[in-house]
Amino acid sequence: MTFPIFPSGEAGLVFAVLSGFGFGFVLERSGFGRAQKLVGQFYGYDLSVFKVMFTAVVTACLVVVVASVLGLTDFRLIADHATSETLLVPFAIGGALVGAGFVISGYCPGTAYVAMASGKIDGLVTVLGTIAGQVVWSELEWRPGFSTFHNATNLGNYYLWELLYLPDRAGPVIVAAAVVAMAAACFVFADRIERLLSDRADPLAQGTPGGRSRRVVLAGFAAVGLGSLAALLLPSGSEARAVETTRLSPAELAERVFDAPWTIRIVDVRSLADCTARRVPGAECVPEEDLQKLRLSEAEPARQLVIVGTEEGIPKEAEAYRGTLAVLRGGFGAWEGYAFTPPKPPAPGAPPAEVEAYRIQAGIQSALTGMKAAPPPPPPSAAPAGGPRKEGGGCSG
Amino acid sequence: MQRDPNRFWNPHLAGVALGLVLAGTYLVMGSGLGASGGSLRLGVAALQVVAPEHVESTPPLARAALAEHAHWLVYELFGVVLGGLVAAYTAGRLKREVLKGPRISTAGRLALALAGGLVMGIAAKITRGCASGQALSGGALLSVGSWVFFMSFFAGGYGLAWFVRREWR
Repeated sequence: MTFPIFPSGEAGLVFAVLSGFGFGFVLERSGFGRAQKLVGQFYGYDLSVFKVMFTAVVTACLVVVVASVLGLTDFRLIADHATSETLLVPFAIGGALVGAGFVISGYCPGTAYVAMASGKIDGLVTVLGTIAGQVVWSELEWRPGFSTFHNATNLGNYYLWELLYLPDRAGPVIVAAAVVAMAAACFVFADRIERLLSDRADPLAQGTPGGRSRRVVLAGFAAVGLGSLAALLLPSGSEARAVETTRLSPAELAERVFDAPWTIRIVDVRSLADCTARRVPGAECVPEEDLQKLRLSEAEPARQLVIVGTEEGIPKEAEAYRGTLAVLRGGFGAWEGYAFTPPKPPAPGAPPAEVEAYRIQAGIQSALTGMKAAPPPPPPSAAPAGGPRKEGGGCSG
Repeated sequence: MQRDPNRFWNPHLAGVALGLVLAGTYLVMGSGLGASGGSLRLGVAALQVVAPEHVESTPPLARAALAEHAHWLVYELFGVVLGGLVAAYTAGRLKREVLKGPRISTAGRLALALAGGLVMGIAAKITRGCASGQALSGGALLSVGSWVFFMSFFAGGYGLAWFVRREWR
């Protein structure tokens, strides 16, 4: 993984000025230092805001998608780092207010800085208003009542591909391809609307048509989108797991089963018959061929996934698990040797670690073999009278 | 070459250029571009001169004062202003003026600019980012919240446009 680079201190600040420069330069050259051109979006005579923004969204998205497909970065890693959490209600209401403020002031916060830089007094005033507004809400957002709204309906980091139940690797590529198709339709439509509503007599009330560049850019998007989709179909042999798989010895696994069972999820991938006969306590019996039904790539990654098999292999479906992964060393055979053989009691004065190991192994051994050896329940000769009891209840029975 | 202030870049080519700048920022810094976070940091800087104790006792302001990323965003904003200045100068658009429609006074336009800025400032804090930080930077990374913002943003603009048409046309 090459990206992100995360440059330290001063290098990061130099890069901040550079990327800001590029941002400001392009915004100005798009005409976004001019309020009339920006609000044209909302009167229909100039849809440059939509065209520039949406083209930029698709471009940036595709660059990150391609970098992820090539293994240079991870889409989700960048997204988790760069995007905010999704707070449905505040975003829906706040978004509408930003739109309202946009059409009132003629700028969005970023373009107001560009307008200010190109000498527009109204841009400067908008910047001052924005700064004041940011401080005003910071004064309020943490106070009782306001904070309830400010933090309402928090869905955490939530992405379009998750909305569609797509996995982290393929999801961004598929959604990006869909967004390209959407962009193509929207851009053609936008040029039509502009032609209809622009005012030829007023140089300030005209759109900037997409023209031939629109086709070139869209063709480029389509090529990159399809290329990334095709790359998904290739076997991902080079794709190494970022996290090393831990190999748990039977003793380590037993300790986890006994002392912290909530930290692990054990999946036994042997055949159903073998697994139902004898298994690690708490293991789920899921034969390897049924493993995809667990949808491990989407499963809650909080617990460590422990694979128990006849051998030490990790099935492909399990590698998609987002949490940490472990495998039982030596497979189930090693477990049998450990859990079904009575351990030797430690000598008096043995170190506590040895006593502890004995405690766990003896516990496992008696739990697993003891139950088998227990006498069968007595035949129901004097079974209690059938039918539901009408009176009493709880513990009084 | 004749400079025509009414000539702009083709929107799609400009969009590709903007997208490449944005993608570069993702790949190097692991974060996007924005304008509201830096604005807050500037406001906090002003407050620190007037009332430093107040900044310390208000958690959101104190957080902004300490956050390394907010510091980074101020440098980025400085770059935005620099880039805007160079682009406006070289395109023949650097001129001190108030942009407005023919049917509104200068004072009225400036009052609305301030009011609009204030509304955006408040709203962009509620949405954890403005059009550049949320719609652009989050939208390109397919965040659901950013797309909700994107649609809501356009709905708000279209909803109010008719009422303020005298400001522009």
